[in-house]
Amino acid sequence: MADKQLACMTCQPKGLCGGRGLLTLKEGTWANNPLAIQVLGICSALAVTNRLENSLVMGGALIFVCVGSNLLVSLLRKRTPHRIRMIAEVAIIATFVILFDQFLRAFYWDMSKQLGPYVGLIITNCIVMGRAEAFALRNPPILSIVDGVANGLGYAVILAIIGLFRELLGTGEIFGYKVLSGQWYTPNQLMILAPGAFFALGILIGIFNAVKGPEPGEKK
Amino acid sequence: MKDSVYTLCYAGVLGTVCALLLTAAARFTEPYQDANAEAEKNHNILNVLQVPYPPKSSSQQLVKIFKENVRLEQLGELKIYRYVPPKDSDSSETVAVDFEGPGLWGPVKGFLALGQDMRTIVGITFYEQEETPGLGGEIVSSWFREQFVGKSIIDEAGNPGIIISKSDGSAPNKVDAISGATMTCDKVQAMLNEAIKSIVEEKQ
Repeated sequence: MADKQLACMTCQPKGLCGGRGLLTLKEGTWANNPLAIQVLGICSALAVTNRLENSLVMGGALIFVCVGSNLLVSLLRKRTPHRIRMIAEVAIIATFVILFDQFLRAFYWDMSKQLGPYVGLIITNCIVMGRAEAFALRNPPILSIVDGVANGLGYAVILAIIGLFRELLGTGEIFGYKVLSGQWYTPNQLMILAPGAFFALGILIGIFNAVKGPEPGEKK
Repeated sequence: MKDSVYTLCYAGVLGTVCALLLTAAARFTEPYQDANAEAEKNHNILNVLQVPYPPKSSSQQLVKIFKENVRLEQLGELKIYRYVPPKDSDSSETVAVDFEGPGLWGPVKGFLALGQDMRTIVGITFYEQEETPGLGGEIVSSWFREQFVGKSIIDEAGNPGIIISKSDGSAPNKVDAISGATMTCDKVQAMLNEAIKSIVEEKQ
C-alpha cells in the first residue's frame, strides 16, 4: 500500500484518515477481533480470567502495550532495517510490558501478586507482535494508535466477559462481592479451573461468530 | 557494508534507549516497591502474631507498630519473632517463625505463629506465593488459614507434624486441603513440617 494514500496530513474531510480510522477501529474490535476471530493470545485469556478484576487489569495492560508498541514501531518504520525489524519490535514491546509491570508492582501491589508472571508474558502475546508486524510497520502513527486501541479493546472486552462469567459461576461473586447467594447456588468450581476457561472461551467464540455471520466469500 | 554498520548502530541505539527507559522506571518505582514488600512483611507478622493495630494503618504506621511490639530473637538455629503484649492488655504472648519451600510454580514463604507453649498454632500466613490463582492460590484465603488456629503441631502420639488432607476424620493436627490444589497442599504440608521439626527440636 502506498504511504501517500494513508498519510494523515492529507486526510480527506470526513473522519480520521479519510474514514480509515473508523474502519481500523471496527476491524480490531469486531470484524477481525484478535481473540474471537483470529484466536490469538488465548494463553493469557485462559490463564487470568478467573476473576473479573484480573481480566480488566490484563486488558488494560494489553491496550497500553499495544498502543505504545504500535506507535513506536510506526514512528520508526522507515528507519528500521528490514533484517532486524522483528528483534526491534520485541525490544520495544518488552520495554512497554516491563514498564507496566514495574508500575503495577509499585502502585497496585495486590493485583501484581495475583497476576504473577502473566503480565511479563504479554511480551510473547501474539496480538501485540502481530499488530506491530502486520499494521504498524505499514501505516502512519495515528492510524497505528487507533489500531492498537482497537485490538487492545477487542481483547479486553472479550477477557472481561469471560472473567465476569467465570467469577460469577465459579465463586458466585463479582469483584469479590457475593451476588449469587450460597443458599440456592453452589459455586461451580469447574469454571475457576482451566477447563472452565476453555468452555467459556469456546462458547463465546461460537456466539461471536454466529452473531457476526460468515466472512464474505466464505461458504457456509 | 554500509547497511551492516547502520543496522548495528540502529540496534545499539534502540537497545540503549530501551535500557535507559527501564532503568529510569526501575529507579523511580524502587522505593515504592521496597516499601510495599517491607510493609507487607510487617503486616503479615503483625497479623499472624495477633498484634492489635488500627484497621486503616498506613505502611509507615505499620512499620512503627511492628518496631514497638515485636522482638526478633534467636533460639538456637531458629529465628523467631516474639510479641510481648503490654502488661495491661489481655492478649497473650505469641511467637512466629518463618517457613519457606518450593510451591507448585514458585517459592512459597510465610509465617507460622504459635502460642506461649510453642505447640498450639495461633495463626499462619503466606506472604509470597505464585500458586494458581483460584486453586493453589487459595492458601492465602482466610477460610484455609483459619483452619490452622487452635491446631497442635504434634499429633496425639507426640510426633511432630501437621497434616493437610481430604476432609475426613479429625485429629488435633489435621486441616482440610483445598480441592483442586493437591500439589500445592502437599508442598505446603512438607515445608510446614520441616519448620515444625526444627521448632520441636529447638524446644527440647
